[in-house]
Amino acid sequence: MSAAELPLTLVDPIALPAAPVLHVQGLVKSFDKREVLRGVDWSVPAGRVIGLLGRNGAGKTTLLRCLLGLSPIDGGQVQLLGAPMTEPGGERMHRIGFVPQTFDLFPWMKVRAYLDFTAAFYARWDHALAARLLQGWELDPKQKIGQLSQGQRQKLAIVRAIAPQPDLLVLDEPVASLDPQARRAFMTELLELMRHPGKTVIFSTHITADLERAGADIALLRDGRIQFMRPLAELRERFVRAVLTRAEGWAEAPAMAGALKATVAGSELQMLLEDADPAVLRALAEHAGAELRVETPTLEDLFVELA
Amino acid sequence: MRAVWQLWLQLWTRLPVLAVLAMLMCLTGLVLALIAMLDARVAYVGMGFVAFASWFWHIGLGQVLRGVCRPESFLLPGFRARLAWLGVADVAQWVLLPGVLLVLAGPPHGALIVAGLVVVAALGLALGCGRRVSLAIWAVFIAAGWMPRLASQVVTVALASPWTAPLLMLCAALLIRYALAPLLRIQDADTPTSPLENASIGRNSQSALDDAQARRGAWNRWLGELFDRAAQYALERSLQAYRRRPSAAGRLALVRRLLLPHDNPQALALRLVLVAGMVVIYFLAVMHRQHFDAAVVGAYAVLLTMARFPQLGRGMLRMRPNLADLYLTLAPATRGEYQKIMVDALMLLVPVSVLTALAYTLLGSVLAHAAEPARMLITAAIVATSASLVALAVHLIGPEGSFGRGAVNLVLIFGAMGAYWGGYWMLGAFGLAWGALALGTVTISFGGGVWYAAQREYQRRAPRFDAPLG
Repeated sequence: MSAAELPLTLVDPIALPAAPVLHVQGLVKSFDKREVLRGVDWSVPAGRVIGLLGRNGAGKTTLLRCLLGLSPIDGGQVQLLGAPMTEPGGERMHRIGFVPQTFDLFPWMKVRAYLDFTAAFYARWDHALAARLLQGWELDPKQKIGQLSQGQRQKLAIVRAIAPQPDLLVLDEPVASLDPQARRAFMTELLELMRHPGKTVIFSTHITADLERAGADIALLRDGRIQFMRPLAELRERFVRAVLTRAEGWAEAPAMAGALKATVAGSELQMLLEDADPAVLRALAEHAGAELRVETPTLEDLFVELA
Repeated sequence: MRAVWQLWLQLWTRLPVLAVLAMLMCLTGLVLALIAMLDARVAYVGMGFVAFASWFWHIGLGQVLRGVCRPESFLLPGFRARLAWLGVADVAQWVLLPGVLLVLAGPPHGALIVAGLVVVAALGLALGCGRRVSLAIWAVFIAAGWMPRLASQVVTVALASPWTAPLLMLCAALLIRYALAPLLRIQDADTPTSPLENASIGRNSQSALDDAQARRGAWNRWLGELFDRAAQYALERSLQAYRRRPSAAGRLALVRRLLLPHDNPQALALRLVLVAGMVVIYFLAVMHRQHFDAAVVGAYAVLLTMARFPQLGRGMLRMRPNLADLYLTLAPATRGEYQKIMVDALMLLVPVSVLTALAYTLLGSVLAHAAEPARMLITAAIVATSASLVALAVHLIGPEGSFGRGAVNLVLIFGAMGAYWGGYWMLGAFGLAWGALALGTVTISFGGGVWYAAQREYQRRAPRFDAPLG
């Protein structure tokens, strides 16, 4: 389904409040003959947390790597921090932090040596923050990276990405291997970082609760395109789940304006609706002889229905 | 400069022994160059030391750069610029400093020697980066072997020509560009190949340091596709056979297809063809030597065959986490049963290695017009059998650390070479039949004994599925 067919409208870049940190136009990326990104248009304003959602294989990792110039693109343009991103380079690299999906670099290095190596390249490196995070997250500076568990490597990658105090932080499923304590600690650090003006985070994850906690704008990647980007509050306002219950059950879902999806389960009919009119819903319930319950769907519910 | 310093330190932390030895050799060379101020002839010896040190240092540096130059590294601010500064420091260390001492010593051909030092460094770097420039060097030797008088004249003219030094510098610049360009290019990672894949044909040129794969060119990609197709075909055939008639032998064949995807008849034939090409080049290079000994062919064939086993050792380590899946799929009654299946599956490598050694020896003996091809073939067959058994045994239960493995591999290679030359002599001294009997009795009983003990020990051990430590 293309963006035009979706019951949602694409964000108009002109209407965004701040100058975009990232501007992507017609980004195309293929692996052999398999087209993963099919003309991505996307604009990310400064000072926001963006949650990039998409199903497995939707191309989230590919998109993030293309944005940073870590994967060559086949078409389109990427502008990052005001300059075209053909290859990573220039002064803006001091302002970018990246947490890859899997951290499999430099397994021979010890944690301390790796951080020293990395810090040597940056103009702004918060040694105190790095030390505090290492201690708080129980990362042994003398341990080799190859000896760390996946979760520990992810913690290290987060330390490495946050310590240069980046203006743009790109996180590719950063909490997938973290335990709940570490995940919570990471979110605290992320929210702390976001308290500084002008900081932007692009955050690919399947843990929608984290995005809700961060109050992120949600961007949905599907069919090789960004289908929409909306503030979470707006999504919550516009989408409702209506649950109609009657004893005799439902042969089929009644037609209703704004209905995106309907599911029948025994006596219950659940409908996901966009911009639903409460009066119309009440009339429908009355006409069908059903009891009506209106719920606000969680982000996870929305993701399941829309992605 | 902190970043350049950190980059420079990488070689010291990754390959400390090489770095220390190279530095000691370099210092020796520089001291000799200082002494050469009193006697200019010593300068040549000193520069020889520096060149040797530079060669090893830059091979190591190339390997380190292969590990460091990942796409993510380019997110480090000024990464390329820092690499360039590292290059400047490297030139100062390995060219300018010896060059200044050389100028002070004042021997003839100083400029040529300095240019030679640059070429040596560039060649080492290219080799370390996984580029096969050794083929280009061979081309020079082939030409020199064909026309030795012309080569000698060329050398004489080159020594006198003012253009030689700039030309050498140009060659070095091209080499460095050829070596570094793929590392500095950001591209999508190649699909990982099987850790047990045969590395001796260059299809899977991984760095022994950290398994960082060399960037594959179009030729290698095409070659890879051919091997993958052969592996897929072999797997499908084994699957069909197993579905028609499930049996323990069929199951073993399937395990072999999984563990050793490129040890099927088609892939073996393809590998032979490729190696034959390389062997032909080699013979063109060495046949014109005045004292060429055709018997060396068998030794090289055994050496080439043995090159497979270090990769097996490393691959088995890397495969360990994946083997848990195989264990669950096979659902063995006991852990020993699973270990036996593994041992039986890997045993395939012995006949494959022997056949490969025989094929290479046969090809070589034909190309070199060997006087006693039967003697070479019999020796190669016996030595390859016993050496393969021992190599397989030590890689099953041998040391896991890279140093231990390296030491074991050295012992194996020297042992196999010693066995070949000793065996070749025995076959000459006692005749083919008696010599072969004596050689076979000694070496195969030794190999068989080692193998028997090792596989018993392997079956006694519990299978391990934990990831190797980096």
